[in-house]
Amino acid sequence: MAVSAERITVYNLADLKNTSDDAIPNYLNSLKFTQSHRLTDVRLALGYSAFVVAAACFLWDFKFGFESTKYYTAVAVALYSLLNGVLTYWIFSVEKGTVYTGTAPSGETLRISTSTKKNVPEYYLSVEVEQPRKNGGKTETLVVVRSFTNWFDEAGHFVVKPFQSMLASAIPIVGKLDPKRLESSEDQPPAYTSEMLDALTSAGVSAVGTAAETATGADASSSLTGNGKKGGPAGKRRKA
Amino acid sequence: MLSSLGNPRQAAAQLMNFGLILSTAFMMWKGLSVMTDSPSPIVVVLSGSMEPAFQRGDLLLLWNRNIASETNVGEVVVYNVKDKDIPIVHRVVRKFGVGPDAKLLTKGDNNSADDTELYARGQDYLVRKDIIGSVVGYIPFVGYVTIMLSEHPWLKTVMLGIMGLVVVLQRE
Repeated sequence: MAVSAERITVYNLADLKNTSDDAIPNYLNSLKFTQSHRLTDVRLALGYSAFVVAAACFLWDFKFGFESTKYYTAVAVALYSLLNGVLTYWIFSVEKGTVYTGTAPSGETLRISTSTKKNVPEYYLSVEVEQPRKNGGKTETLVVVRSFTNWFDEAGHFVVKPFQSMLASAIPIVGKLDPKRLESSEDQPPAYTSEMLDALTSAGVSAVGTAAETATGADASSSLTGNGKKGGPAGKRRKA
Repeated sequence: MLSSLGNPRQAAAQLMNFGLILSTAFMMWKGLSVMTDSPSPIVVVLSGSMEPAFQRGDLLLLWNRNIASETNVGEVVVYNVKDKDIPIVHRVVRKFGVGPDAKLLTKGDNNSADDTELYARGQDYLVRKDIIGSVVGYIPFVGYVTIMLSEHPWLKTVMLGIMGLVVVLQRE
């Protein structure tokens, strides 16, 4: 439950982002947020109507030839460019990477857009919270930047708990609905376990030891086993 | 990757992206058609009958509007012959009369005889509406891809399959 069965390639930024994006609606909807699909639905309507125009144009061109239908074709081309232009505008200026819009049970509307920067393994969330109209309709925007390493383990499994507590602690209205996921209430594991400290020490020894060439092989192998130990307990700790 | 197909909106969006790639390519072609007023504004030279001007595999850009002047002797035109579906690229060498009913005779630069042999049975000349465009530009050799594709049809299936797979499997 806490760790996804599916594995992604941790070096694939698009995979990291898509998996995280997909987890946001799951979590928020489970907290009784009402998701709004308006942005996606408008995008789909625009895209599919453009496609229908093109398909119709293809059919009459195929059936009746170019010469007898060229004025209809001209209109279809103009309409298609218009629809595609509006679609592009919608994606880049209205949606702007929005992955979730929804309304909290208390009436605030929440809009989350995410993005990544090329070759930087960090998740940029931009969260817009709009108060209900009767409370003045004020809009607040907050930006959260977190490393993907916080909720993906070495093997590429998505770990639910840290991801949800990241959202709950960063966004107040989410935290209010799910107080047990707040980071302050969670008992933080120690930053370094004793095994990891051992591993670090042995790695340090090997770095010093490289001066004596005969010792290098042995030291390198000991630092390798050290790394293995480091990975083991870390994985267990996340699952706990 | 494929798990996203469980969400109907996401699946619909991915299908839409694929559809829009195809339809945009088609509509760009049709837009060019409308602009040049030619049913086929880009053609590939299939034979060597216009050498040394055009080689097999050259891509020709056509224009089918007579804005400044009529189609005249010396222009290289692409025309269709009744009941033959392959357009022919040859030069206009004779012209009798003016307007849409002018009689035109064509010949390939590299051919020893004019085109009367190539025309339909009983046809001795072309008229303006047989012509689908005059050559206004060309890109050498690029069209060889389509010659390859039409001579080895299975390549088309392979290419289309690979393109479809790539679009469905990647989400960015």
